[in-house]
Amino acid sequence: MARKTELMTVSSAAQLWEKSTRRDFMRLMGIGGAVVLLPSVLTSCDSGGTPVAPGGSTGPATGPGTGSTVTIDFAKGDVAVLQFAYALEQLEADFYIKVQNGFANSGLSASEQSLFADIRNHEVIHRESLKTILGASNGFTITPVYNGVNFSNRDSILATSKAFEDLGVSAYNGAAQYLTSTANLLVAGKIVSVEARHASAIADLISPKTTLFSLTPFDDAFSPQKVAGIAQGFITEKLAFAGSAPAFVQGPNNNG
Amino acid sequence: MENPTFLESLDPEMMEPIFSRRDAIRQGASASSKVMAMLALGSIPIALGALAQDVYGQTPADVVDVLKFALTLEYLESDFYTRGVAAAGLIPSSDLTLFTNIRNHENTHVATIRGLITAKGSTPQDKPTFDYTAKGNIPGFNFSAGQYATFQVIAHAFEDTGVRAFKGQAGRLINDKAILTAALTIHSVEARHASEIRRLRGKKPVITGNSRDDLPAFTQGIYDGEDNVVQAGLDLTALGTGNGGVGAVTEAYDEPLTQAQVLAIVGPFLA
Repeated sequence: MARKTELMTVSSAAQLWEKSTRRDFMRLMGIGGAVVLLPSVLTSCDSGGTPVAPGGSTGPATGPGTGSTVTIDFAKGDVAVLQFAYALEQLEADFYIKVQNGFANSGLSASEQSLFADIRNHEVIHRESLKTILGASNGFTITPVYNGVNFSNRDSILATSKAFEDLGVSAYNGAAQYLTSTANLLVAGKIVSVEARHASAIADLISPKTTLFSLTPFDDAFSPQKVAGIAQGFITEKLAFAGSAPAFVQGPNNNG
Repeated sequence: MENPTFLESLDPEMMEPIFSRRDAIRQGASASSKVMAMLALGSIPIALGALAQDVYGQTPADVVDVLKFALTLEYLESDFYTRGVAAAGLIPSSDLTLFTNIRNHENTHVATIRGLITAKGSTPQDKPTFDYTAKGNIPGFNFSAGQYATFQVIAHAFEDTGVRAFKGQAGRLINDKAILTAALTIHSVEARHASEIRRLRGKKPVITGNSRDDLPAFTQGIYDGEDNVVQAGLDLTALGTGNGGVGAVTEAYDEPLTQAQVLAIVGPFLA
């Protein structure tokens, strides 16, 4: 399967109007790339009621953000950051478990399935270790929803995987500044580079030996609020923040 | 934009180069109250982490030291890829795009870190002279046509080293959010590079146990300690059950290296 398709991911309707998005879009169209609209775009276009699931969706009838509220309270300090990470790791682990369960119809090659099985294990281990670190009193469960993701379509699996891994990298890079403990910062650092390894490997499946594995000299660092805005498109519970946090300090890409 | 931009956020450090004792005490007190809050919330590992922060005193000198250390590593990578991409007949055309991409990133890292050192009121050191035979450990390597396999081996070693090196310094940047965030966004890019090169060589993108795969024995220091299964004070071995075993537990977490460990690894490459 010699494929050389570059992908861009659009996660919100507003993003469609950003200059950089339009520029990337035009560039991609010029080289025969593909654009993926994450479910958050579709739901934000929805005028209320149940979001419409495009073909192949296995999502339930409940839409993103329609469930109970999960509040990340910055007053909890490092715990809040780890809870935020825990929400993302729950989402990733759940996604890859579903991918693995659908391997037979996924269109993924044997070697690709091997990579995805490894990634699934890593994400489950991240989820379970954060659950243990946080303890029962700080735990919670999120319910992923995958409107717009087709688990029987290789391109859809790869695009969604890449979006999740890139988001994870941006999330840890941006949330690290809210940690006050060097021990917790180290844990975040140990996880984020594994997420980056995943992101690179998946990008290389999408477009082998191009620049997609690492598009810029600096990865993004996103504020928790920005990450939550994107992740919300895949989570039934409503993500919310409480407590005051210092102003977000931008990374070199200045887009967080 | 109410949030400071990356460069704007550097300005206070430039205006106030001395990290005042009063600020240090205030931050210590703040962390202590967090320790109590975390103990009240019942999370011992997190509280222990916060205690470690209490006795950890970063100063601007730490930040400059980290930046200069990082600059040495980026000089090494930048010089290596610049020479590799320029070498006639070394890299096959099919792989030139990815190595040129990595070279460009490393060059940008060098320029950026030099700028940060200057912004901190210090002077970036000059680029060292490198010995890519690593004092004879890689006999005869000189970027010649036909040495592509060796070139990839060295790239594999450098990128995995870079990831661990940046990770090991993050804690020293915890009080300088702009530099911390910049360093982390380089750190994860090094991990992307490492993944790409490892896969190019037919290896997993992640490190399993303390395996150096097929790299020469003198590189073992790059992988020592990667078999750690204890995170935040918790032994995670049991989490491997049904999830790929202990190998997957070690793969799921990359490990740091100290400056001394990194310099021992990089030492042979310094002429």
